[in-house]
Amino acid sequence: MRTRSLPLLALASAGALLLAGCASGGDASDDGTPRAGGTLTYATGDAEPTCLDPHVGGNYPQALVSTQYLESLVSKDSEGEIVPWLADSWEESDDGLSWTFTLRDGVSFTDGTPFDAAAVAANVAHLQDPETLSSTGYLALQKVTGVEAVDARTARFDLSEPDSALLESLTQPWLAMESPEALQRSQEVNCESPVGTGPFVVESWTKQDRVVLSRNDDYSSPPADAGHDGPAHLDEVVWRFIPDSAARYAALQAGQVDVIDNVQPDTLVAAEKDDSLDEIDAPRPGAANRIELNSGKAPFDDERVRQAFITGVDVNDGIDSLFFGTADRSYSALSSVEPLAYSDESLFDVDPDAAGDLLDEAGWTERDSDGYRTKGGERLSLEFPVSTNQSIPAEQSLFEQIQAGAKQLGIEVVLSPLDLSSWYGALAENDYDLVSAPYTKVGPDVLRILYDTAGITPAPSGYFANLAQLSDPALDQLLTDAAQTSDPDERADLYQQAQQIVLESYTVLPLYDQQNHYLVRSSVTGVRALPPVSAVTLHDASRTD
Amino acid sequence: MTLPVPTEPGRDAAAGRASSTAPPTTDDASSPSPVTPERRRRGRAAAAARWLAGRVVGGVVVLWAVATLVFFAIRLVPGDPAEAILGGPGSQASAEALALVREQYGLGDPLLLQYLAQLGRLVTGDLGTSYSLRTDVGALLLDQLPGTVVLAACALAVAWLIALGTAWWATLGGRVAAAVSSGLEVVAAAVPHFWLGSVLVLVLSTQLGLLPPVSTGTPIGLVLPVVTLAVPVAGFLGQVTRDSLLDAASSPFALSARARGESTSGLFGRHLLRHAALPGLALSGWAFGSLLSGAVVVESVFARPGLGRTLLGAVTLRDIPLVTGVALVSALSYVVVVALGDLAERLVDPRVRAS
Repeated sequence: MRTRSLPLLALASAGALLLAGCASGGDASDDGTPRAGGTLTYATGDAEPTCLDPHVGGNYPQALVSTQYLESLVSKDSEGEIVPWLADSWEESDDGLSWTFTLRDGVSFTDGTPFDAAAVAANVAHLQDPETLSSTGYLALQKVTGVEAVDARTARFDLSEPDSALLESLTQPWLAMESPEALQRSQEVNCESPVGTGPFVVESWTKQDRVVLSRNDDYSSPPADAGHDGPAHLDEVVWRFIPDSAARYAALQAGQVDVIDNVQPDTLVAAEKDDSLDEIDAPRPGAANRIELNSGKAPFDDERVRQAFITGVDVNDGIDSLFFGTADRSYSALSSVEPLAYSDESLFDVDPDAAGDLLDEAGWTERDSDGYRTKGGERLSLEFPVSTNQSIPAEQSLFEQIQAGAKQLGIEVVLSPLDLSSWYGALAENDYDLVSAPYTKVGPDVLRILYDTAGITPAPSGYFANLAQLSDPALDQLLTDAAQTSDPDERADLYQQAQQIVLESYTVLPLYDQQNHYLVRSSVTGVRALPPVSAVTLHDASRTD
Repeated sequence: MTLPVPTEPGRDAAAGRASSTAPPTTDDASSPSPVTPERRRRGRAAAAARWLAGRVVGGVVVLWAVATLVFFAIRLVPGDPAEAILGGPGSQASAEALALVREQYGLGDPLLLQYLAQLGRLVTGDLGTSYSLRTDVGALLLDQLPGTVVLAACALAVAWLIALGTAWWATLGGRVAAAVSSGLEVVAAAVPHFWLGSVLVLVLSTQLGLLPPVSTGTPIGLVLPVVTLAVPVAGFLGQVTRDSLLDAASSPFALSARARGESTSGLFGRHLLRHAALPGLALSGWAFGSLLSGAVVVESVFARPGLGRTLLGAVTLRDIPLVTGVALVSALSYVVVVALGDLAERLVDPRVRAS
């Protein structure tokens, strides 16, 4: 009877395993009050960073995790005001060519190295060293010629020209301060265990699995808007990489993890009914998610065709239905968290008839057998390469709805879902008419990167940020002036004029803010998104179970 | 869907030569034989050596082909690895940084030169440095290998358990059992991993709270991924095993075993299974390949570290050294498993040895 007992044995042992699994669950004394200690597990759906030091490269996944162990000179509060962090105060010189920062006293990196002006200088030098391969931080410091350690607590940034975006740039995690001693190590080692002044310390990194962070018991340098001073409440943070969004949500519901990011619209709707989960909606700063129209080549080199596309295709219904009301329509080139964002809804009123007239006027009068408009035998066809890494499924569906809407107008939209490298390749080849490319940066200076004529000239790789290929000398001048003006009112006025030009050029179809939703188990309190780039900080977090 | 099971071209010839020196019935000790036991042993050893040499040469050719295919497949698709190396989404790399990366990684060299350089490195056993994870590919794969091996081995074992279980039931349970199990096998074989995984998580984790939805690093966390990976393979193995089991059950030797008084389970275990397992064993190489490709999905869904997940990330980022590394390790394990399956076939079936 050996053969009969084998399956039974397997079943029995599986059952035993199940019971063992259940037994290890809930024996929590849940009295609802925050307590010190404990472990919090954060599951991220962003890609695993290639390096835990955000100076190297510089993307959002790095910003998320490094916010737990690195700190910046200044931060931003929820009102958009710059607030002290590792710097107590700062002053711009009259000519705008130098900024003097007074540093916080008595702060040390977790390897014991004191945080002083020499450390600030070493960090800026590290970011500007081509060997570091910094992209985001490097760009943000382009006007900085060097940092002078005037004395231990005074660091002076010298600039080649005034930079009204400097403080906003310095709030970003990609320009955080690291121990100069630790930076001396090889890049490989520093990538594994960067050393900062933050509330947690990188303990270990198991590739494809997790980063373990432990509490920094000597922590004393939270930003001015933090919930409490002193060390974090939690003993340990486990940072897990769970790429599948359904798995992430299932793990949250099962209590295997406490916080998840990159929450998809359908999950948000489901979570609203769940009392054990709280939502944090923290749009990313910089540009809004938008579709850009390539004005550098036909057919969008004709403004009438651009205007026809933008005012002829309705996107609101698609956003409402595909995002289940979790994303608000934007009418601005900038994120709604940017205090200087300017909206003009009237430019985006949808009128298909008027759009059709515009296309007729532009000479797209004939129709081919598929019903698409033609001119001189050529079909009105638009290439739309879509990065499947950067556009969530709901957004890809929205693009399909736009494709259907455009067909009503007689415009063919060819959607090509591409992986990241191929997508970069298509942009480099100027092989696109429509494109959606997110861009995260703190402050309105992002407009200069995205819409200045200089951004049309491709880098040696072929990549360029001005994907609308907008070239307007008046706009360039406004953006240059705004970047050099320290007077807040004048700066606001210049950026408003610049945004008007961008929106009225009909090269940009704003959709919604860069979506950034977190779900937190309600047994955890004090989790908040840190305003500069809306990454979560766990400094104030504690468990109540 | 089905991968051809590579047959060793040298095997039949070698076995044929070996058997020509051996008497037709080796266990008939009383018949006079011109071949001494030593010569017979030497003949067998030579045949085994030839078999092994054939395997090794074939394996090397497979590995070379894999390295070549992977290299050109990745490089011929448009796209720029330099952008991906510098952080991908949200970070616009400076011209200086890109130039440096292209120089460091030799991305500006002519394609053929890059190919030869990579082959040269591979020959010396150097898998290179990952573009995206900036570490030695060999060390990285050694880290990731155990996770996938444990997953695939457990899944293969569970798949065989399920396949034999249903085949046994189909053979002995009458017509209804045969029809039901055949239906189940078709469904199981057709189920995609990602769907099955999601449904299992939804039912067993979210609804019933029985099992953790993502990997915990403990055996309990292994249950869902293993079952997800095993079920489709079990469907295929079950189909072929059941067919040959039914064939064997109706053959004369089954009847004569019965006539000798063999019990039902004895008949199944000692006689029928041996016949029925053969096509399944021959398919084990294919099954292993299917498990490796399934691991890409399963490891991502259940957030388990392993080769499959590494491969997914590496392909997305055009990480040529890492993709090549994973492909070579998979190809190597495939070659080894096919050889082992062949060996197992020889052990189970004397006809293969003697033919």
